[in-house]
Amino acid sequence: MAERWDIRHVDLSAALPAIAESERPVFAVFWWRELPLGVRTFLPEELPLGRTQIASLAADLAAVQLAARLEHFGGPARATFDGRAVLSIPLDAIRSSGDLLGQLDALAETTPAPASDISVVICTRDRPVALAGCLARLRDQQSPPGQIVVVDNSSRRTAEPILSSFPDVQYVHEPRPGLSVARNAGVRASRCPLIAFTDDDVEPYQGWTREIARAFSNPDIDAVTGLVLPAELDTAAQRFFQLEMGGFGGECTPLIFDGRFFAETCPKGAQVWRVGAGANMAFRRTVFDKIGLFDERLGAGASGCSEDSELWYRLLAGGGACLFEPRAVVLHHHREQWNELRQQVRAYMQGHVSALLVQADRFGHRGNIRRIVRQLPAYFARTAFRAIQDGASLRLQILQEEVLGWLGGLRYAIQPGWRARSKLPCGTAGLGTGGVRS
Amino acid sequence: MGYRIVEIELAEPLAPLSLTEAESGFAIVARWKGRLAGFHMEKTAAGACLSTAALSSLAEEHFARRALALEAQAEFVTRQSPPPAGAAPSLSIAICTKDRAKRLARLLASLCAAWPTSPFPSTEILVVDNASVDGETREAVSQFEGVRYVFEPRAGLDFARNAALEHATGGLLAFLDDDVVIDRDWLFGLYAGWSGCPEAGGFTGLVLPYRLDTEAQIEFERRGGFGRGFEARRFHSAKAGNPLHPVGAGILGAGCNMAFDRSLLLSLGGFDEALDTGAPLPGGGDLDIFYRVLRSGRIMAYEPRYAVYHEHRETIPQLRRQYWTWGLGFMAYLTKSRRSDSALKAKQDAIIRWWLFDKLAALAGSTCRLRLREAGFHAAELWGGVIGMAGEYDRSLLRVQKIREQTP
Repeated sequence: MAERWDIRHVDLSAALPAIAESERPVFAVFWWRELPLGVRTFLPEELPLGRTQIASLAADLAAVQLAARLEHFGGPARATFDGRAVLSIPLDAIRSSGDLLGQLDALAETTPAPASDISVVICTRDRPVALAGCLARLRDQQSPPGQIVVVDNSSRRTAEPILSSFPDVQYVHEPRPGLSVARNAGVRASRCPLIAFTDDDVEPYQGWTREIARAFSNPDIDAVTGLVLPAELDTAAQRFFQLEMGGFGGECTPLIFDGRFFAETCPKGAQVWRVGAGANMAFRRTVFDKIGLFDERLGAGASGCSEDSELWYRLLAGGGACLFEPRAVVLHHHREQWNELRQQVRAYMQGHVSALLVQADRFGHRGNIRRIVRQLPAYFARTAFRAIQDGASLRLQILQEEVLGWLGGLRYAIQPGWRARSKLPCGTAGLGTGGVRS
Repeated sequence: MGYRIVEIELAEPLAPLSLTEAESGFAIVARWKGRLAGFHMEKTAAGACLSTAALSSLAEEHFARRALALEAQAEFVTRQSPPPAGAAPSLSIAICTKDRAKRLARLLASLCAAWPTSPFPSTEILVVDNASVDGETREAVSQFEGVRYVFEPRAGLDFARNAALEHATGGLLAFLDDDVVIDRDWLFGLYAGWSGCPEAGGFTGLVLPYRLDTEAQIEFERRGGFGRGFEARRFHSAKAGNPLHPVGAGILGAGCNMAFDRSLLLSLGGFDEALDTGAPLPGGGDLDIFYRVLRSGRIMAYEPRYAVYHEHRETIPQLRRQYWTWGLGFMAYLTKSRRSDSALKAKQDAIIRWWLFDKLAALAGSTCRLRLREAGFHAAELWGGVIGMAGEYDRSLLRVQKIREQTP
């Protein structure tokens, strides 16, 4: 864990390249042109990759894409209870297949889908430099979005000076603290029928808005999430978050989360956090009209996090469908400092438990409580056992934060008056409460 | 009681499967255009029938993804420019055996069927008779024309393996245990393994069950058997995501089906004769050689087409003893490695702690669930490990020294 890792992007569609030798460990992201296929990690001793090795890796990754995306191979893939795809591929289709790589080429084809129907909302708080980086990437989108809204959640309005370099970006000041509050202000300030959210510590790929627009071309899809890759793995905290805790995921299999997924998992607590990450998500505006906005008791600045997954929960409970579409790619700058990571992990767990309480309260679904009192303590016990077994003292530190976060979430439940605030803010037509400048 | 093992070809229409009243389950070995693509076993009612549709949906769930990947792989390979042609090495196949003439004959029959079409420029088969008490082994070998016979008077598998190393002439030396039968693709599998990674120092392959007739055989396979999967893999001296690698050498494969660059084995000094001695220390020799190959900086390649069928232990007591030997062999190998390769001391110590934790937790878990037979397996493995840690390697060194002195 002591060493810096390199992040390499490898396009397997070119005449198969081997991954060259490296002095540092490599986090490799495999692509088929602009279609992400998967991630793998390699130590310097495991490199270079041989030609046959890369051919078999490429074939495995290609098979999953074909099966998850093409109807004749059994696609589109639906999420099972733990958010994974079960791929069942008709044998006849394989027997009569031919030119699989051609079919993969077709899947990687990018269509110039216009993104003028998308409002991008970025909520920020006292991170002007990072925000400028994010906005620069949004300016370079191949399909420019219809609107970009920055919601400044800082009492000192620290984002405002940055915006002088981005004249097309709309500035909304939301002085009431909380990510949910800020996101709701963003929704109210948005005009377009699709609303995409990203964070100030994120750099969207050039095709991000285009791929979101394409994903929404399926009228059955109400919400879209995308792939969140690490921007760098330079510090111990960043590596721990990505490599030990899984980061924001690295699976590149597109997945539909629908009523069936929800019904299957509801008795044990629907695992809605598997849908994606708030750093890369989008909704139809009609979703907010139908089920309300983000719950302002949740999220960073309030409970800690999970305002995103709680919204997916409401959406799925009401029969909606979410699509995880890894073609919509962003890079995320993980927390650099170990202490920041500890705080983040604690906030995540606290927010998670609070969201479970809110979900149980709103719908009476007991599975959420079961997760709090049974699954999470069992997870803590398992993690502690493994950490001691592996002699992983860093994992124990992080586990300590998780347990404290769990307790913090429970404390949240006995806070007076939280149930009284269960009414969801609604209405997407108005403007934010803060000043608006175009 | 037993499970029927059936082979199916996924590229052809499937036929329904009906078990006899004596069969209470099935195990499917699936191929895609001849290449091994998957293994799946399932318990059923005695005499159950599996319709074509049921078999298809099972195949679609368990094997189709690999079949599709194999198709894609074929396309990748044709798209790639052809690899630089290097001369293939000659191959020696060594079978070390002791007092099991019938099984040896069964293996030789499967080998001799594949022998004429060997893709290697030259292929020799060598039987090392490891101090068999009578002449049956020699007689069995004489039934097969062209098979060489070597007698090694010093009892112990690694004595026999070193004798094979000495007498073999091939650039590549493959070892087979006498309780296996090779898959019809075995030679091509080894060749594919070699041509995919000619720089590798060693190769291991898939081990499937030969029969699943008894409870013990089914139980062993159900608990993972020797299976290492249907995906080709490479092992180096370090592995991302596995900080204890290569000390946990068991993931590489099994000694009943392994091959090495012979010159590398010679330069490493061959096998450690104090390991894999038969009773009282019947194990650890394969782990030791895998570990030393990786530590020498060479790759170990796992190739699923390089497959054998292994006859598992027949009875539960035999199986329990096998788990005992795993614990014993693993700890004896670690005792040796800690002494001879202190650079990895931290990993070696960590894996002992890891292993004890793992076995104790498994034992506690199965005891709490009242799965007593399983608890017995865990206890046996744990007990073997404890004996292994308590100086078994040193005792074995003394025993082996004595055998050397007694044999002229």
